[in-house]
Amino acid sequence: MLRLKTLRGALLGAAAMLAAFGPARAADPGVTDGEILIGLFAPMSGQLAAFGFDPLQAAKMWYEEVNKKGGIHGRKIKVIVEDDKCTPTEAVTVVKKLATVDKVFLVNGGSCTAAAVAAQEFVTREKIPFVMLNAAGDGGVFPPTRYVFGAFGGTQRTVGATIMEFAIKELKGKKIAFIAHDDDFGNSNWSTAKAVAARMGAEVVAVERIPPRINDVTAPLLKVRAANPDVIISTAYPAPAVLIAQKYAEFGMTKTPLVQAVQGIPIPAVFAKNVGNDAALVNFYYGSPLNDLTDGPKQQKWIQLYKQYYPDRTPGAFMTYGLPSAMAITRALEKVGKDLTREKFVDAMEATQFDSGVLAGLTAFAKDRRDGYRSSIFIRFDGKTHTLMPGAYSWNGKDGM
Amino acid sequence: MTLLILQAIASGVVTGCVYALIALSLVIVYKSTDVINFAGGEIVMIGGYAGMLALLYLGLPYILIFAFAAIATFALGALFDRIVLHKVLGRAVPGQSILVAMVIATVGLSYVLKGGVRVVPYTEEVRRLPPFFTGEPIFIGPVVVQRQDIAIIVVAVVVMAALWAFFSLTLTGKALRATSQNPRAAALVGIPVRRMRMTVWGIASALAAIAGVLLAPKLLMTPDMGVIVILAFAAAIIGGFASLPGCIIGGILLGVIQNIVGLYVGSNAISVAPFAVIMLILALRPQGLLGGRVAAKKV
Repeated sequence: MLRLKTLRGALLGAAAMLAAFGPARAADPGVTDGEILIGLFAPMSGQLAAFGFDPLQAAKMWYEEVNKKGGIHGRKIKVIVEDDKCTPTEAVTVVKKLATVDKVFLVNGGSCTAAAVAAQEFVTREKIPFVMLNAAGDGGVFPPTRYVFGAFGGTQRTVGATIMEFAIKELKGKKIAFIAHDDDFGNSNWSTAKAVAARMGAEVVAVERIPPRINDVTAPLLKVRAANPDVIISTAYPAPAVLIAQKYAEFGMTKTPLVQAVQGIPIPAVFAKNVGNDAALVNFYYGSPLNDLTDGPKQQKWIQLYKQYYPDRTPGAFMTYGLPSAMAITRALEKVGKDLTREKFVDAMEATQFDSGVLAGLTAFAKDRRDGYRSSIFIRFDGKTHTLMPGAYSWNGKDGM
Repeated sequence: MTLLILQAIASGVVTGCVYALIALSLVIVYKSTDVINFAGGEIVMIGGYAGMLALLYLGLPYILIFAFAAIATFALGALFDRIVLHKVLGRAVPGQSILVAMVIATVGLSYVLKGGVRVVPYTEEVRRLPPFFTGEPIFIGPVVVQRQDIAIIVVAVVVMAALWAFFSLTLTGKALRATSQNPRAAALVGIPVRRMRMTVWGIASALAAIAGVLLAPKLLMTPDMGVIVILAFAAAIIGGFASLPGCIIGGILLGVIQNIVGLYVGSNAISVAPFAVIMLILALRPQGLLGGRVAAKKV
C-alpha cells in the first residue's frame, strides 16, 4: 500500500514538474523562442526559372530586412530554399520535404499554378499554412481552403475581368473579340471576361479559344477580323501572343486596339523584338498587376534594395512579384504575437489587408477569400515607349463566379 | 467567305511546307534504316538554335546560316549513328529485333538534346530569328502573303528538288537507295552500308535543321519547339510513310486542313485535326495517300 502511494506520488510529482517546466502543449513545428522556420520554394532552374528565381530572392530579401529590424516578437526568420522547377511532382516532393524533414512552420512558394496547386492536398491534410509566392493559382484559391493563400499577382479570373473592363471603359469597346487558350487559364480568363462584358453591356463578337501550342493563328485571326470588333483582347502565352500580334498586323487590323494580358508579355522589349513589326504595336496595350512600369519610379525602391542584396544580379521583370507574399506573411506573424501557432497564423492571414507598395491595389484576404489580389493597370507600348494608362481596374470577386 | 478560305489555304501551304520538310527527314531515316526517329523534332530545334548562334556570334548572312545549321546537324546525326546506333546494332542477337532498342535510342537523343539546349544562354526566353525578307506584304488577288512566307515556300521547294536530284542523279544517292532497299545486296556489290547509314542520318538531320531555321522566324524558338514533330509524323502518315512525294503532299494538306478546321469547326479543334485525319487515313487507306501496298513485315 505504501509502495502504491509512493508510486502515485512520484507520478503526480512528475506530472506537476512537466506542467510547470515543460511546454504547455505540443508546439507547432518550426517555431522556437528565437526562430521561425519558413520553407521557400520556386523554380530556380530549368526553362521556367525566370518566373521564380528573382521573386524568391526578393522574398528572402524581405525576410532579411525584417530580421535586420529585430525580427518578429524577438524571433528571427530562417528560410530553407528548395527548387521545384515548376513541375507539380517536384513541388509536392519539395513541400513534403520541407514539412516532414525540415519541419518548417509554414511554406511560402510556387511560381507556377500547376505546381502550386499540386501541393494543396498535402498541406491541407497536414494543416500546414501554404502561402504561394507569385503563382496565379486559380485552382488553389477557388474554392477557398483554410491553409492555402495565393494569387499575390492576381488570378487569371482577375486578368480576364480587368482586361475586359479596361477594353470597355478606357478603349470604349462595344464589340469585343476575345482570344484565350483552351486550357484552365483560358477558362478562368473567359469566365470573368464574359461576365464583365455582360454586366457592362458590351457585345463579344468573337471568342477564339486556341491551343497553347498553336503554330498558325491564321484561322482565329481571320475570324476575329471578319467579326469586325472595336477592341481585340488576347490572354495568350508568350509564343502565341507574338504570333497573334504578327498576324494582327499582317491582316491590317492595327486600327483596332489589341490588348494583351500580362502572361503573354513577360518582358515587353523581348516581345517587341520577337514581333519584329513596328506596325503591330501602334495600337497595343498590355496589363500588369504592378503599381508602375517594371522599372518605373514606384518600383525603383525595390530594385535598388535588391541590388544592395544581390549586387551581381540584374533583377528580372518578375522580381517584385515575390515581395507581397513575404510581406503578408510577416504582417500576419506580427499580428499573432508571441504565442505563435499555425492556426493563429491562418486566422491572422485571413484578416490581412495592406498596400504592398508593389502592386496597383490592396493585398487582402478574408475568411472566404484566398486570392490575395484583384487589380491591374494597363500600359500602352509602341515597342520602345511605355505609357501608363489612367486608373487601376479591379475584379469585384463576383463576376464570373 | 471565299477570301477567308483562300487566305487560310495560303497560310496553310506555308506551314505545310515546313511540316513536309520535317516529314521528309523522318521518312528518309525510316526508309533507309526502318527506325522511326523520335528525336526529329529536337533536331529541328537544334537547327533553329544553331541558326541563332550563327547569327549572334558569327554574324553570318542567312544563306550561310542555313549552311551552318545544316552542317552542324549533319555532323550530329552522323555521329549519333556512328556512336550510338552502330553500337546498338552491334549488340543485336540473331533472330531478335533490335529496332525497339534503336527507337528508344532516338527517344534518348531527344531528351539529351532538349536538356542540353536548356543550359545554353538565350534559351530561357521565347526567341525568334529575324525574317529573311522584310517589307510590305504581297497581294495575290485579295490574299495577303508575307515575303517571308514566299521565301519559306521557295527554300522548301529548292531543298525538296535538291533532295530528289541527289537521290536520283548522284552515285551516292543511288547507293543510299540501294542500301535502303536491300542492305545485304548493297554490301555484296561493294556499297559501304555503314557509311551510307551515317550519311542518311546526316542528311535527315540537315533537312530537319533547315526546317528549324525556316520555322525560327515564323513560329518562334523554345527548347520545346520539337513537339512539332508530331505534326510531321501526321504529314508522313497522311502521305504514306515510305513515300517522299507523299510526305510533301501530306505536309501541305495538313497545314491547309488545320486552317480550314480552325475556320469552320473552331480554333480549339486545330490541334485535334491532325489526329482525326491520321485516324481517318489509317482506317480508309492505311498505306497513306501515295504509299504502296500494305504488306506485313516481320521485324
